[in-house]
Amino acid sequence: MLTLGGIRNAMWCVIAFGIVACAATPVPVEKLAVAGTSIERAEQAQAAQFAQVELDSARNKYAVARAAADKNDAKVAARMADQADIDAQLAESTARARQQEQLATEMDASLRDLRTETLRRDNSAAGAQPQ
Amino acid sequence: MQRTLVIAALASALLGLAGCETAPESDAVLEQARHAVAQAEADPNVSKFAPAELERARKLLVNAEGAAREKGARNETAAHYAYLTTQMARIAGQRALEQVALRRIKAGETERQKILLSAHENEPDQALAQTRAVRLEGMQASRTSRGIVLTLDDVLFDTGTARLKSGAQRSLDQIAAFLDENPERRVQIEGFTDSEGTNDYNIELSQSRADAVAMAIIQRGIDAQRVRALGYGEEFPVASNANAGSRQLNRRVEVILSNGDQVIPGRVIVGAT
Repeated sequence: MLTLGGIRNAMWCVIAFGIVACAATPVPVEKLAVAGTSIERAEQAQAAQFAQVELDSARNKYAVARAAADKNDAKVAARMADQADIDAQLAESTARARQQEQLATEMDASLRDLRTETLRRDNSAAGAQPQ
Repeated sequence: MQRTLVIAALASALLGLAGCETAPESDAVLEQARHAVAQAEADPNVSKFAPAELERARKLLVNAEGAAREKGARNETAAHYAYLTTQMARIAGQRALEQVALRRIKAGETERQKILLSAHENEPDQALAQTRAVRLEGMQASRTSRGIVLTLDDVLFDTGTARLKSGAQRSLDQIAAFLDENPERRVQIEGFTDSEGTNDYNIELSQSRADAVAMAIIQRGIDAQRVRALGYGEEFPVASNANAGSRQLNRRVEVILSNGDQVIPGRVIVGAT
């Protein structure tokens, strides 16, 4: 049975819950800073090129965290900052791994060339030597 | 009234969830986290190259499991930790991949050096081929364990002196050029005489001739540190000394070009007189 007073009570409950759940702790400035630094590190590791998906995820969550912080929603800000941070770390490590793997592949190719070249030179040297 | 309160409480709970975060599918996310950690643990490279990250992922999973055991709205905490767990396990995997790739690069670099070095080792063959052409001008080349040995015979010296004849210049130019192109190699010059004359005189003459060759090489821009000259007199004859022809063969200067950069060992005089 819904009464006007009941609805009013419910409204108050919602407001009270919202305040308790979302704004009980101070805005996590430090977490935001950490996430921001991690994103910068990922960018420096060329994550934009080598780990686009992970970097985008970090950037989006960082934006959500900042927006939540602006609205004094500390809980969401903290969680999103943490997730942005770990996404950025993953972006960085993925970018580094892919770059090193690319270098390793290039090294293998250059070794193959070098072996072929050495073999060819040895053969031609042996052929050219008078007996 | 009581019923409305219950409804209100439910509504507020739902609103609270919607207001703070998107509703998590805790079970699925947690399952994914468990799987990610198990996968990382199964990879020997991860425990070898990213143990710290793996440990962090394990701890995050403990947090996620703990939060999941508690009921209600805390499930979003579980989902949050589960997400962090999954990402940390993936970070561990990527770190391991990076290290594996780095080791591949390092091994490749070592292999490259080895190939290049062995290519250098083949150069004596080329040097030998080049020196064959010089043979007519008084130089013979042979490969020994000590290095490439070039023999300058005594027609390149004025009789009884250590003065080099002009005919020796071309051979010396070639030796110097070879050393210039192979900066890691050393050169040792060994002088020998026949058995005529006194031992002291022969040692002195052979040393002087070796010194003269060494000096000529140094004058062509080769670092003196790489050049060593030794006089052995009538030791180590290559022929009998019984006639003029064999004595001629014994009067010689040998130029030894090292294999690589090792110091060329001197000769050991056995039962020296």
